[in-house]
Amino acid sequence: MSVGGLQRVGTGLLTLTLLLAGCASDPGDQPVALAGGVPVGAVLALTGNANVYGQDQKVGLELALQQRNTSGGINGRPLTLALEDSGSDEPGANAAFTLQINRGVLALVGPTLSQQAFSADPIAQRRGVPVVAPSNTADGIPEIGFFISRVSASSAVIAPMAIAQALKMQPGLKRAAVFYAQDDAYSTAETTIFQASLKEKGLEPVTVQRTQLNDQDFQNQISAALREKPDLIVVSLQAVDGGNLIRQLRELGYRGLIVAGNGMNTPNIYPICQKYCDGLLIAQAYSPELDTPANAAFLKAFKAAKGGAIPPQLTAQAYTALQVIGEALVRLDKRQPLAGAPLAAARKQLMQEILAGTYATPLGEIRFTPEGEVIQSQFSVAQVRMDPGGRSGRFALLK
Amino acid sequence: MDAALLEQMLLGALLALSVYLPLRCGQLSLATPGFYAVGGYVAALLSTRVAAFAGSGATSPLWALVAEMVLGGILAGLIALAIGGPVLQLRGIYLAIATIALVEILRVLNLNLPFTGGAMGIFAIPQPFEQADGYVLFTLVLLALACWLCQRLEVLRLGRAMAAIRDDELAAASVGIDTPRTKLIAFVASAVLAGVTGALAAHFLNAWNARAGSFDASITTLAFVVFGGSRYWLGPVLGGLVLTALPELLRPVGDLRLILFGSVILLGPLFFPQGLVTAERLRGLGALLGRAPQAP
Repeated sequence: MSVGGLQRVGTGLLTLTLLLAGCASDPGDQPVALAGGVPVGAVLALTGNANVYGQDQKVGLELALQQRNTSGGINGRPLTLALEDSGSDEPGANAAFTLQINRGVLALVGPTLSQQAFSADPIAQRRGVPVVAPSNTADGIPEIGFFISRVSASSAVIAPMAIAQALKMQPGLKRAAVFYAQDDAYSTAETTIFQASLKEKGLEPVTVQRTQLNDQDFQNQISAALREKPDLIVVSLQAVDGGNLIRQLRELGYRGLIVAGNGMNTPNIYPICQKYCDGLLIAQAYSPELDTPANAAFLKAFKAAKGGAIPPQLTAQAYTALQVIGEALVRLDKRQPLAGAPLAAARKQLMQEILAGTYATPLGEIRFTPEGEVIQSQFSVAQVRMDPGGRSGRFALLK
Repeated sequence: MDAALLEQMLLGALLALSVYLPLRCGQLSLATPGFYAVGGYVAALLSTRVAAFAGSGATSPLWALVAEMVLGGILAGLIALAIGGPVLQLRGIYLAIATIALVEILRVLNLNLPFTGGAMGIFAIPQPFEQADGYVLFTLVLLALACWLCQRLEVLRLGRAMAAIRDDELAAASVGIDTPRTKLIAFVASAVLAGVTGALAAHFLNAWNARAGSFDASITTLAFVVFGGSRYWLGPVLGGLVLTALPELLRPVGDLRLILFGSVILLGPLFFPQGLVTAERLRGLGALLGRAPQAP
């Protein structure tokens, strides 16, 4: 076959592929599709290295959905939740967001990681779809735009509390060592806050050790840090690398206090650092001991589903995110029925409704700033207590 | 399927072509994501820091995008030119290792330079197009241009020299082909294409960080070419389109999707060791369509 022939076949194949790919239209100007229920979407990291968070969050969403639908749904119509996996990277989050928005969802919960939020949230903002983030803690998330809000308090609020708690337990602390993953957005953002907080309390870090998100062996960094004889170690790492680091820290003989950031705030660290997780201090945006009807209902639902375990913060926050959307939908539908309303207008009104409300949630009573930042008053610090076997443990709240 | 996924696919196809170009003269280079990241940073920095490129802050002018793509391509090309000489003296697996190291060096640089935003990267990148459709059209033109150039290589002296080096470098050199120069041209062209693609992708993804150019991305882009076939430009294009789309198209099967995706990558080379697109298959398809009157 000649070059020309090859070229023709090639161009033909390319065109065919692209035609097959086709294009979908934006459902924004059509009425809200209420046939199967009131559609809401969620985008979580169920695969990739952030999957340990996504799994916790999925449980929270399922419980919130159940809670909403057993207490009347959205004024008689069931709330329906479409869950999509974003993987742990940005293109995955973008694709899942776009897919959900094209499906005609009224609002979105997600994505799991702040890094994904910086990439995917602008899509929702441009297309006018409310987003309630359940776990983005980096600075600048609600500032992406009007449609972006979060129920997860910024690390600037939470992180310093764990340092304060460590100083309360051992007032004589002098030498702090800091670890963070230099290639992870969450980690670098949180460590800045940790380090500023340490300085503020007169604990200038004696060493700052940088690791990589996918590292498994931390012997070099740990040896370098232990040479400085630290009495406090502050770790901003995700669950998997953080768990491994803590384990190796203890194995190499460190006996002092360890403060960990929000990345390790999940019971999924137990299988990773096992008995060595014991004693870890982590600030909490959720307290299972909070004595309110909303938290009691959440605890009851969680215990029924998971057999007596104590819910992690990520689960409580995901539950809260969907609860907020559900309650806002109920109020909006009463004021201005969703049936027949154009989707784009309904989304915008829903966002206004979300921002206007006050919510009695498992996290305590929360509201939003006009920008979409959460206003929350109850925080606490927990210490990990492992069972003697090192297989399981709990987050014990400190007073 | 929607325009945003289509755009992802087209970007995948462009990256696959960037891996294909060095392979066309027998050089296994995995440096594409490194140059892709460099191009992306050029676009992200210019459009967020330089007023003329930033436009209104939310939307940026189209000329700015074109200028960023040109500059991103040039910078990537210059880096390739500078390191190409020594690196391309390596062959086969050693070249692959050197290019992996290059990607790693660029990644660590991008994480630690004072102006690249660390791991957080650069976000709030303005949009040259209001909707994904605009990107698709623009990228389609770019891909068509890249494909046309690759097609021209089939008849140009340069392209034939590249093919000769791929088949037997020693023999090619002995008939007077300047092999170092030819290999360098292929390597630089690959870098330019990756840089240009990166500049476009930075806008499309809204945010840019060092994870764009990682070792994982090297393997993904290589998979495009292995899956699609490395002998003819249509192979990598098809590989890039299909392998980018597949994880999304498989969403209806739920939790199994990544297992299925993995099986496809595994079974592809097993049943089609030369890739999906080979000259024989194209010829067969041409005959089937009744469009191949000339004898080869």
